[in-house]
Amino acid sequence: MKISISRQSIYLLSLSIFLLIFVLIFSFSVLIPKGKEYREQRNLLNKDRMEVRRYEDFSISTLDKLKELQSENAHSITAFDNSFNSERFEKQHSLHFTTLKLSKKKPLENEDEFAVYEVNTTSSINSPQSFYAFLDSINKGDWVIGINFPINFKRDHELITSSFTMRVYSTQKASVK
Amino acid sequence: MKYSYIKPRKKSVFSSELQLLFSFFSITIFMLMLTYTFLVFKDYRFSQNTQEIIEKRADLEAGITKMKAQITFIEKEALLYERINTKNTVLKDSIANLFDLVPQRITLSEASLLENGLILYGITPNKDIYNFMLQAPLRSIFHRTYSSFYPAANGWLTFVSTNYIDEDELALTSSKSEMKEELDNEN
Repeated sequence: MKISISRQSIYLLSLSIFLLIFVLIFSFSVLIPKGKEYREQRNLLNKDRMEVRRYEDFSISTLDKLKELQSENAHSITAFDNSFNSERFEKQHSLHFTTLKLSKKKPLENEDEFAVYEVNTTSSINSPQSFYAFLDSINKGDWVIGINFPINFKRDHELITSSFTMRVYSTQKASVK
Repeated sequence: MKYSYIKPRKKSVFSSELQLLFSFFSITIFMLMLTYTFLVFKDYRFSQNTQEIIEKRADLEAGITKMKAQITFIEKEALLYERINTKNTVLKDSIANLFDLVPQRITLSEASLLENGLILYGITPNKDIYNFMLQAPLRSIFHRTYSSFYPAANGWLTFVSTNYIDEDELALTSSKSEMKEELDNEN
């Protein structure tokens, strides 16, 4: 039996086989690995996106917490940021005293991250009640002030002369005037 | 002289089979190339997105770290503020208690409140009133109490009362009370 194939058919067949091989090689060596890479990268990107979303959620919750703390402690934050002003202090608290005088503002060693200043105070009061009122008002004042020992009370006719030291606490950036 | 009655058809290199084959493979290769281009473009976009995500994450991390530092600082501020306010309030109560402690018949001329003590100057009609009405409550508060008397011009006695709290004994008492509390809790 003799099979007769024309020359043209042989060319056609060879070309088809060549193109088919090219398609197969291109698909398997380039396209499929690239597709796999694409899928892996897509998964990786989705994971990264989820992680970023988690970060965003955490950032939002942290910001909420910060805002809540800031609003809850607005007075103390402002008080720490305020720089101490003797004149304003005397003006604010003079109603509790017959006379009030501040002197010697000297910086002490920093406590934690806060600057501490010591202010000596001499004053005259009518009754101890005035001093109690002063201690109450100092807790609501513009600065963070702790009354320190020693505290002296001395009778001076109808008045009581008191002398004590106050410690003013402020953040590092604030300074005493 | 004619050998055929039909006209000879034009012969081309691109036969119809070849054209069909070319068009088939052209479409196939075009689709493959299109897919490849799509994948390359996506790859490029992914790398861009990944870079953006990394930058965004770094920004968020920096923001969170900054906010956490702010939170810690505010908490510190609040704690110190609370401590100072409590100290002032305790001081106010201590002074009020001190003045309440002094009986009507004894007149104070000076009082010095120290970190661990109290010095009182004043006048008393006699020693007994001082001993029973002022020294007795002072003894219950302070660990060491010293008194000295001088005669005053009006026949009364000027006194100086020096009272101290021993920090060691205070620590011992507080640790004992803590132990007792623990034992009570266990029971």
